[in-house]
Amino acid sequence: MVSTELLSQSIINGLLLGGIYVTVGVGFALVFGVLEIIDFAVGEYVMLGAFTGAIVAPMVGGEGLLVVPLAFVAFFLVGVVIQPFIHHVTTGDRPMPLLMGLVFTFGLATFMRGSILTIFGPNTRNVPTNALSGGIEIGGLGTFPEVRVVTAVVGVLSLVAFMYYLYRTTGGTAIRAIAEDRDIARLMGVNINRYQSIAYGVYAGLTATGGVFIGLIYSAGPGMGLQYTAFAFFMIVLAGLGYLPGIIISGIVLGLAQSLTAVYLGGELVFFVLFGMIYVLLLVRPEGLLGKGEVA
Amino acid sequence: MSETLLQTDGLTKRFGALTANDEITLGVDRGEIRGLIGPNGSGKTTFFNSLTGFYTPDEGTVTFDGTDITGWESHRIAREGVGRTFQIAAPFGNMTVRQNMLAVQTPKSVDEHERAQEILEFLDIDHIADDDASGMSGGQKKLLGLGRVLMLDPECILLDEPTAGVNPALADRILEHLRELNDRGTTFMIIEHDMDVLKQIVDTVSVLDQGRHIVQGTFEEVSTDDRVREAYLGSADDDEVPV
Repeated sequence: MVSTELLSQSIINGLLLGGIYVTVGVGFALVFGVLEIIDFAVGEYVMLGAFTGAIVAPMVGGEGLLVVPLAFVAFFLVGVVIQPFIHHVTTGDRPMPLLMGLVFTFGLATFMRGSILTIFGPNTRNVPTNALSGGIEIGGLGTFPEVRVVTAVVGVLSLVAFMYYLYRTTGGTAIRAIAEDRDIARLMGVNINRYQSIAYGVYAGLTATGGVFIGLIYSAGPGMGLQYTAFAFFMIVLAGLGYLPGIIISGIVLGLAQSLTAVYLGGELVFFVLFGMIYVLLLVRPEGLLGKGEVA
Repeated sequence: MSETLLQTDGLTKRFGALTANDEITLGVDRGEIRGLIGPNGSGKTTFFNSLTGFYTPDEGTVTFDGTDITGWESHRIAREGVGRTFQIAAPFGNMTVRQNMLAVQTPKSVDEHERAQEILEFLDIDHIADDDASGMSGGQKKLLGLGRVLMLDPECILLDEPTAGVNPALADRILEHLRELNDRGTTFMIIEHDMDVLKQIVDTVSVLDQGRHIVQGTFEEVSTDDRVREAYLGSADDDEVPV
């Protein structure tokens, strides 16, 4: 017998999770479109964000929420520093730039994970918060942890801000132009390198910010990144490689699938269900459920 | 003697053992329409790529309006005043026609909306300004490609087959626009395989063969030149350059 209360709670939990996954997925798709790389390090930015929360929060009065803006700025700068290396290995006379990008970011991911493991050891750490320790009652459907609700709200707000930038500003238009056709964008006076740098910085910042929130909800561990890399792949495949509006829906689908599977089938089956969905999807509709096979 | 706007000196581009552009020295005068012809593989597109920063030349220089632009990045060359369109006219398909125009990085001093509207009106595509660019016809896409280039207000425009694959009526319109722009002072260099088109529009023609600049002259001079016939036909026995 399925309890409607449990079902509605699982659905809301799934939607709340989806809110933060979307921010990770949108950045990942953007980088795919603008830098033409599949960034294997995406989950490691989540991990680094969560670790930043765990390490820095005790220094700022034990409040993880205060780390959020700091993580965005710090990882924006990290992204801006790393982007020239990606540019270097994926341009010039090198054959197969996509493969070069994959190899580079795989190495980057390994380096990030290994560094954290070496410096901080294998243990997981909590990201403390006092401000978000309570619960919020949602429409008679039950009480949900504040931290999850705020996470989803921040996820949606950053998504709105990001979409505004992409679709309503000159810089955003330039980024979308690069995503569609790099060569023509260059002829239109668009400084590719500069906007790739901005795009990768925003992506790293957003993803690490998402990581702080994920750390607040769960915890921070050096091995957590791979799961989020897998989630990011799930989202862009479901959305149809890099189709941004599709990412919003696939992030929500991901949150729901994770939440419902964990409640009704068991947490250990989450990946089985997710990759089962991808497998069937690729068989039936290789262009993605929602996709046009295009970016932005 | 008129003033040279775009000048290459000994421009050379090699790909491994292949020399795609072999010491090309060529000057385009301000205000002229120059045709660039040559058999397939003669290095025309490579030449455009070297001029617009897609390739870095191995040797030689490119000077534009007195400034050495050799090795500059594409976006800087575009902003400096050298526009270029591709043979395949590909608009940004996820944007409207107008957004395509606004994607061009104009100087801050320019009212980009106003300029976009003026250009769209000039090209007679203002009625579809807010339609999706992906729905345009082939000829309209070529016009939009030209329109985007005009957003940068270039002094010189390099065109790669501006009328290829376009219906004759629209092709005439495109040529008409080019003439009008030329009357206003814009300099052109045009790669074109259709000799009828070329004859109508160019002042002078430069001929490339196997990466070398072999002849330059008026259309009539070039089309009766033995070296040109040989380049196209492999011998000088036939009477005419093929169309």
